[in-house]
Amino acid sequence: MAAQSRAAQPPGRFSRLTLRQRFYIVAVLLLLPAVALRVFTAFYPFLQTAYLSLHKYNPAFDHDGPVFVGLNNFTRIGSDPVVQASIGFTLLFVLGATFFQLTLGLAVAHLLNAAFRLRYLARALVLIPWAIPMAVAALGFRWMFDDQFGIIPDLLRTLTGANVRWLIDPNNAKLAVVSVAVWKSTPFVALVLLAGLQGIGRDLYEAARVDGANAWTCLFYITIPMLLPILITTGMFMIVWQLAVFDLPFLMTGGGPGFSTTVIAQKIYLESNSLNYGYAASISMVLVGIVALVGAVGLYLFRRFDVSA
Amino acid sequence: MGKEEQSKGVKRGISRRMFLRGTAGSIAGALAASGPGKFMTQGMFAPRLIRQNNTVIFAIQSFAHEAIQSVLPQFEADTGLTVQLEGGPVTGNEMLTAYSPAFASGTSPVDLFSDADDSSPTFMGAGWVKPLNEIIPQETWDDFPPSMQDHIRGFLSIDDVPYRIPHEFAVGYFFSRQDWLSERGLTVPTTWDELVEVGKEVTDSANGVWGTTDALIKPALLYVYVAYLAVQAGGKVFEFDDGTAQALQFLYDMIHTHKIFPEESLNQDYTAQNALYMSDKVWFMRQWPFFQGVAEGNAEWYAPEKLIISLPPAGPLGSKSWIGGWGYSIPTYAPNPDGAAALIQYLTSNAVASQLAAQQGFLLTPRYSILEAMADTGDELITAMGLYAENDVFAPRAFHPRVAEAQTVVDDMASLFLTKQASLSEVLEQGKQLIAALDQ
Repeated sequence: MAAQSRAAQPPGRFSRLTLRQRFYIVAVLLLLPAVALRVFTAFYPFLQTAYLSLHKYNPAFDHDGPVFVGLNNFTRIGSDPVVQASIGFTLLFVLGATFFQLTLGLAVAHLLNAAFRLRYLARALVLIPWAIPMAVAALGFRWMFDDQFGIIPDLLRTLTGANVRWLIDPNNAKLAVVSVAVWKSTPFVALVLLAGLQGIGRDLYEAARVDGANAWTCLFYITIPMLLPILITTGMFMIVWQLAVFDLPFLMTGGGPGFSTTVIAQKIYLESNSLNYGYAASISMVLVGIVALVGAVGLYLFRRFDVSA
Repeated sequence: MGKEEQSKGVKRGISRRMFLRGTAGSIAGALAASGPGKFMTQGMFAPRLIRQNNTVIFAIQSFAHEAIQSVLPQFEADTGLTVQLEGGPVTGNEMLTAYSPAFASGTSPVDLFSDADDSSPTFMGAGWVKPLNEIIPQETWDDFPPSMQDHIRGFLSIDDVPYRIPHEFAVGYFFSRQDWLSERGLTVPTTWDELVEVGKEVTDSANGVWGTTDALIKPALLYVYVAYLAVQAGGKVFEFDDGTAQALQFLYDMIHTHKIFPEESLNQDYTAQNALYMSDKVWFMRQWPFFQGVAEGNAEWYAPEKLIISLPPAGPLGSKSWIGGWGYSIPTYAPNPDGAAALIQYLTSNAVASQLAAQQGFLLTPRYSILEAMADTGDELITAMGLYAENDVFAPRAFHPRVAEAQTVVDDMASLFLTKQASLSEVLEQGKQLIAALDQ
């Protein structure tokens, strides 16, 4: 009876819609959560950051709210030695670390691709540095590089007699931070490249050897060209990912000595922690610009080498 | 059977309309049951606000909890309130990170908290903490000696209205190895010149033994030592004046010229500094009062003559050491402001403050009532406080409205100079410019 009485009722608004209209409504409803997520976690923060970058605003001192200052924050960046040094070190860190991660990652991937007993165990063990949380690695290496108590300076002294001060010499501190980043992320790159290596047919190498190619020729004329799509994708990923690095240098050196290992993200953190939201936002916009530039270069490389084919 | 008949024959468990109505009804019911007004205005923070207001949430560093808990039963019995202790941030920077978002949005996760010198001026300037002049009785304020009154007026107040009341008295004490000095027929250095002279005599860098050391790692610790030397030179550290220049040059000379101070200190924190001293590698050093407890806790190593507190070696202005420390504040948006007011009055009362001071150095200040209560205990820190007070050692901490940022500037500039990345004149000039930029 209940079913009959429901059927007797006039059709609802939704029922009166055409199939196409219903399709669009359902599609919008299904997309809405994802769109809302992007709006609230990406578009709104980006627009708010862009707005703040043109204002002077520190809620502790600017009680009347943000004050429009045009491009003053960006002018200040041009004369701020800490920001300039941090941009320099960030680029050095990202480019240096990515280069060595790809180079060493390719070497490790080759080793792991060889046929030997326990290679599956070796592949698992190689991943250990990548599995260690960055904060743990940073604090661990801070002690290992410590000039008084650290094992690395001690080993160097014992083995070579060299008395290297790692974390109080600006250049050595930069080298130490980049080295830890390379140690930490090379296994990840190696794993990705290993997957690529396994997709290259053996017949290519066999044909090349018949033509007299040696290992280096095979590397430069077969392996690298065949891996180029993965190399560029992984390289881009590592660059963009590491442009926002913060935890490693902050915990390992505190950005010092001086501000020689300060990265852009740390400067943004320090400014926003001091509630200088306007200035922090303007430095963030500079970082966005750098990421966009790197992304554009990546897209160009994709097309230049036709890697999508 | 046609489609219409099929749909008539299938019994649905719940219709779409019924589901939507039920969901909306549930949300409305939850809002109505839990105080819709507060939910509408405070959103996700409402659960903290709508809790029973017989609880006072008090955040302070966890190592002080045991001492605080020992005095709480009396308070809870007298007031009927329940105090919930939470661990607090351990530095001013962490304090800003932890509480600023909540305070800026007009809420507070705590009713009462222990706040640092580095973060307090920001909270006061923003109006995020309550004035305490009408909450704390005058009797309690009068219990602080003149040296602390200056600190309260300069660092804990705006226009003579206090927003924080000190529970800690942090001052850099000069610890020395009396046992070694006596053995070598030497005396504790009393001036900068003597510090260098004795330091040179006792330093044996080949074996890692140094005249003196300190924790100079960034962030913040390098500032502490530079400011310590700057007050001895009569400098205003945030002005990068002549006194500050003398302090920076003296520190540079100790490290690079006289080599009585390990260069590795630039990457040393307090744990490493203490470890160096307690591994018999340092003759004398500045350190905070907590080192007394750390050293005494190292029973295998500790002996009173290894840890004698003397006056700091005098610089051009004299024997000085700046004072600072943590104190209690009530957030403006504390969910239970009355409970917080009752608790802060209780904890800072003369009787209870003395009980707390006897148990925990973090809760020890040279208040008259505390000194009187602890006069006969033979406590080394109480004796040292008296010695420093008699010799007018205490100097107020350098103040800047944006103190955390100003300290970072000093940290950066000193680090650049001490690691030979810039000359003294360059860092003084750049430091002045960066401080001026903060004032704009």
